[in-house]
Amino acid sequence: MDSEIPLPPPRRIRHRSPAANPSATGAVFSSFQRAQRLSRFDDRSSQPSSDPALFSSDDIPASGLENYHATVSGAGRKRRYRGTWWGEQVIDPKRKRADFKDKRNVDSGVWMGSDESGAESLLASEDGSAWGEDLRKSVLDPRKSGSTLFLNETENVPAQTRVAFRSPEESDAHRYAREVVSDCLDKGHESIDLGDFHLRSIPSGLLRPLQHLTKLPSVKEAPVSENVFTSLQPFLHIYLPNNSLSALHNDLFELSNIKVLSLRNNKLTGIPSTVRRLIALEVLNLSVNQLTYLPWEILKLMQQGELKHLTVRPNPFLPIEEAQIAEWHCKSTNKKEVENYEDSLEEDSSPPLQFQEQQSSPNEGWTPIHVATGPITYMNMEGNPMRDSTFRNRPNPIPSDLALPINNAPSLREVALRAVSKLPYLEQTTDEELAEYPALIVPLLQQAREVRAAGGQSCSVCRREYVIPRTEWMEWWDFTPCENGMKMPRCPGEKLRPLPFQRFGCSLSCVPESC
Amino acid sequence: MAPSTDSEFVTIVSNDGFEFIIPRSAACVSGTIRRMLDPSSKFPEGLTGRCVLEEFSGIVVEKICEYFCYNEKHKDQVNVPDMDIPPELCLELLMAADFLDT
Repeated sequence: MDSEIPLPPPRRIRHRSPAANPSATGAVFSSFQRAQRLSRFDDRSSQPSSDPALFSSDDIPASGLENYHATVSGAGRKRRYRGTWWGEQVIDPKRKRADFKDKRNVDSGVWMGSDESGAESLLASEDGSAWGEDLRKSVLDPRKSGSTLFLNETENVPAQTRVAFRSPEESDAHRYAREVVSDCLDKGHESIDLGDFHLRSIPSGLLRPLQHLTKLPSVKEAPVSENVFTSLQPFLHIYLPNNSLSALHNDLFELSNIKVLSLRNNKLTGIPSTVRRLIALEVLNLSVNQLTYLPWEILKLMQQGELKHLTVRPNPFLPIEEAQIAEWHCKSTNKKEVENYEDSLEEDSSPPLQFQEQQSSPNEGWTPIHVATGPITYMNMEGNPMRDSTFRNRPNPIPSDLALPINNAPSLREVALRAVSKLPYLEQTTDEELAEYPALIVPLLQQAREVRAAGGQSCSVCRREYVIPRTEWMEWWDFTPCENGMKMPRCPGEKLRPLPFQRFGCSLSCVPESC
Repeated sequence: MAPSTDSEFVTIVSNDGFEFIIPRSAACVSGTIRRMLDPSSKFPEGLTGRCVLEEFSGIVVEKICEYFCYNEKHKDQVNVPDMDIPPELCLELLMAADFLDT
C-alpha cells in the first residue's frame, strides 16, 4: 500500500524519462491483474484520482496552542493550499471564516421579523417551499436553539411545514443535503461539498436554487485592500464524491456556471450527453465509477470548452484491445503492427500505441488524438439496431435490409417527433395521460419526453437536434496531457492510453468521416 | 388506359376524398405504399396507381404528401432543414409514420 501514497516527483523532469522509475513500482506492478494495471498503475502521473485536499500553512509562527489567545499582528488566519503539499496553489486567500462572535450572536433565542437571520432567509430564496425550509431551519436549527421556550411553542410547526412542502418519505441524507445547499446559498459560498452523504439520487430541486447563488463581497474590516475587489460572478464547485449515485439529475446540468465537478466514487454507469451544457467546466472527476465509455460531449468540452483537468481513471472502460475497431487513425508506422495484432487476436500483445512527434504545431502535444474508430451500428426508424448492421471494415456498406439508397432526410417519424418535442406541454404529461394515446406511439412519446427532459440531444456530426438516433459508434481518443491535471505535453514515443467515447448520429449519413 | 405501373405519378386519396397526385418515386419513400404499388404484389393499387389511405383525413394526407416531397428533395443533401409540422398534427403524423413505415 506504500505505493499508493503519491511521492513528490522531481520537478520538471519527471515526464521526460518514462523509464526512470519502473524499479520502485515494478514489484507491485507485476503482481496486479492486467485490468488494474491498465486502469490505475499505468497512470503516467503520480497524481491521485481523488480531489485535491486542503492544507493549511504553518507560516504564522505564533499560532500554536500555547498562545492561543495572543493576537497575531497582521495575519488573522493561515493560508490554505489546495492540492498536494509540494504544489503551491493558494486557494482563495480572501475568504474569511465567519467571525466566531458573529456566529454566536445570531442565536438570541428570540426570532423577530426584523431579525438578521430571518431577513437573510427571506432574501436568499425565492420560491415558497425553500422559504418555508429556510424559516424552519433558521428557527429550529438545533445548533442555534439556545432557549427551549420558543421551541416548545412552535414544536408543531415543523411537522406542518414538512407536510406542506415536502413528501414525508424524504430521507435524512436528502434533508442534510438540502441544508448544506441552503447554507451555501445563505452564505454565498461557491463550494458545495456534498461528499459522504450516502445519497442514492439527487433529489429534484436540490441543486436548482444554486442557479441564483450570489457571492457576498468580503468586506468586513476597515482597511480595504486592493484584493478585496474580485468578481462576484459565482463559479460553482460541486463535490459529490463517495455517494451512491447511479444517475444524475438533470438539474445538475442546468447549472451552467459549474467550474469544478467531482463525482468520484459513485455508482454511475453512464454520463448523459447533457454534460455539454456545463460550458464553464474546468475540472471534472469521474474516477471510481462504473463507466464503460464516456459521452462524446466531454471530448467536445475539452476541444472547445474550458475543460482542462479530467480525471476518469479508474473505471471499467472498454479496453481498446478487446474492442472491435473499424479504422485506426494512428500513425502509419503502427499500422502494420496493428494489423498483425488483429490477425493474432489470441495473442496477448497489445498494439504499441505511441505518440509520435509530428512536424506540426507546438500545440500538438496537448491536443486530443483520435486513435481509432469502432464499427458503426445502424438503427432503423424506431431506433433499434438493424440486422447484421455492424461491419468491421470500411467503407461501411449500408445494411442489406435497407433496400432503398441512402437517405439523408429524416424519417416522418423523426420529423413528427421533433415537432412533438417542441410542444410546450410535453413535460407535464404524465404516464397515465400518455397511456390514453394509441399504444403504437406511446413509447415514442415517452422517448421524446425523456429527450426533452434531458435538455435535448444533438447529433455529433451535424449538430442537429434529434430524438431517435440512427447511427452509433465508438471512438477512441487519447488526451493524456489533460488527465489528472498534468502540466506537460506528450513527449514523442510515449504510450497512448485512449479512452472510448460514444457518438450518435441523427441520420444514416451522419457517420464518421473517413480520413 | 395506359398501364399504371409505367406512370410517373400516383394518386394518394384520403378518407374524405381529397386526391393528391405525387411522383411515384416520392411516394415510394413509404414502405407500405411501395409494397402496395409493386406490380408483382398484385394489389389493385399496383394496377390503378391509386392508393386510398382510409385512416387519415385530407389534412393529414396533405402533410404526408408534403413529407414525401420533402424527403425526395433532400435525400441526397447533407444538411437537411427541418420540416415544419403544426403541433396539432404531430400525433396523427406519428400514427401515419407507423402505418406508412417511414
